[in-house]
Amino acid sequence: MITLFMLVPIALAGYLSFTDWDGLTPNPQGVGWANYSRLLHDADVGHAAVVTLIVTVVGTIACNAAGLGLALLLNRTSRLTAVLRAVVFYPYVIGPIIIGFLWSAILGANGAIAHLLGNAGHSPLPFLSDPAWAVGSIVAVVVWSQFGVNVVLYLAGLQTVPASLHEAAHIDGAGRWQTFRSVTWPLLAPSVTVNLVLVLVGLLRVYEIVLALTGGGPAGRTNTFAFLILSESFRSNHLGYGAAQAITLMVVIAALALGLTALRRRAEDAVSS
Amino acid sequence: MRLFKTVLLTLAALVMLIPGYLLVVNAFKGQDDILRSPFGIPFGRLTLEHLNAALSNPDFSLVRAYVVTALFALAVNVLSLAVSAPAAYVIARGTRLRHRALLGLFLLGLFIPSQVLVIPVIYVLKYLGLMGTVGGFLLYETTLTLPVSMFLYVAYIKTLPRELDEAARMDGAGPIVTFWRVILPLMRPAVATAVVLHTIGVWTDFVNPQIILGPGSSLYTVTTSVYAAIGRYSTDFTVVYPNLLMAVAPVLVFFVFLQRNIVSGLTAGATKG
Repeated sequence: MITLFMLVPIALAGYLSFTDWDGLTPNPQGVGWANYSRLLHDADVGHAAVVTLIVTVVGTIACNAAGLGLALLLNRTSRLTAVLRAVVFYPYVIGPIIIGFLWSAILGANGAIAHLLGNAGHSPLPFLSDPAWAVGSIVAVVVWSQFGVNVVLYLAGLQTVPASLHEAAHIDGAGRWQTFRSVTWPLLAPSVTVNLVLVLVGLLRVYEIVLALTGGGPAGRTNTFAFLILSESFRSNHLGYGAAQAITLMVVIAALALGLTALRRRAEDAVSS
Repeated sequence: MRLFKTVLLTLAALVMLIPGYLLVVNAFKGQDDILRSPFGIPFGRLTLEHLNAALSNPDFSLVRAYVVTALFALAVNVLSLAVSAPAAYVIARGTRLRHRALLGLFLLGLFIPSQVLVIPVIYVLKYLGLMGTVGGFLLYETTLTLPVSMFLYVAYIKTLPRELDEAARMDGAGPIVTFWRVILPLMRPAVATAVVLHTIGVWTDFVNPQIILGPGSSLYTVTTSVYAAIGRYSTDFTVVYPNLLMAVAPVLVFFVFLQRNIVSGLTAGATKG
């Protein structure tokens, strides 16, 4: 099954990306590198790449900063911290499509936030209707929905830091910040790697939240790369072109994930040596 | 410091919980009440009318979608277990290079974005005559679960002592009987973890049912039926909020009872690699 639905498809995606397949005809015609050269000159693709880059970079940093910060605050076992952990984590089980719709009802023209602003005598803010605001809204909603997973993973990482080391640092007269800087942080290195790579790979394929929150709008200004692949190639039946975009995305994801892992490995080695 | 911490945690909890609060409260209100006071609870005018309407929508019956999605989740879990548990047993007990290569092959699947796969998978499914069918959807959805299953099962079986296998062989059991009567019953915790993760995965999946089953077929899962129901009425909050609430209610119940398993499953999946 892995062969049938993963390996064969990847090879096929490579093949289809050199064709003009429209999803209907059984025999696509080869078009050489045309799809790829079109991709390079396609303004929509360029814009989607920029949006994806913004969402990924800002989102990865924000998810990890918020995730680690909250994990440090919640790192002890009590009933309250267990409840709070569940509170930050619940969006994971709701799923991105529902989250997108919920936030679009909250941020939209007649939504709850517009109502609050109105009560304060402020005119509504264009959360979803202005391109720059909409990208910001997407980043915020993505971080809202995903950083709970990082909190959970960082908490698991913090469990592996032995309490005796903290006591030793305390006895040596280290303050909180110093203890974190020279004991906790280095020992968390593997956790940081896992979290960075997971968020990065996840954010590069953000699709459902965009679909439900802005629908790519206004006027395609919030298309992410994954959104472009799925929506545009199916709407216009240019699946060969979509395959070329998909292959490009896969190469970028693989390169970034491997690059980041290699970079982080040096940080991890610095601890163990 | 302590005050700062309390303020920070309270703020985080509020940011996480307010969307959930709006989701629940507004599902019981009329359009006027939602627009006039999205945060308020008009005790005199709470109504079940709109929830009922969402449940009994003649076009996209949510009750039917519950049943369909639950059956899909069940089928995917059974198929996934049937394929991956025996394979994981062979790989975990194998010592040869080909066993490790096989495991590597499965784990590769963890890093391939499903958007890259879906276009060529359509091609494969069309070729097999399974496009737009439940069988095709289940096969693909099951394949997507295999990397995580394999990963969890192989890691778990490796912790079971080999002496168990030898003892069974002494008693005259072949490898199949050993697996069925000795190993599989011991794998229960790992299976529980996988089932929880895959059930959430199937329940929240939107892209694959939407594309493979297609809006043309009359089979809707919870996510695709909510998408279809809301799509046309996204400014009518008496459609939006009740539909969203009914879509997440079952998973939230699931979450409250199985929170610990979900968290430990995620942690195991992400950190043992």
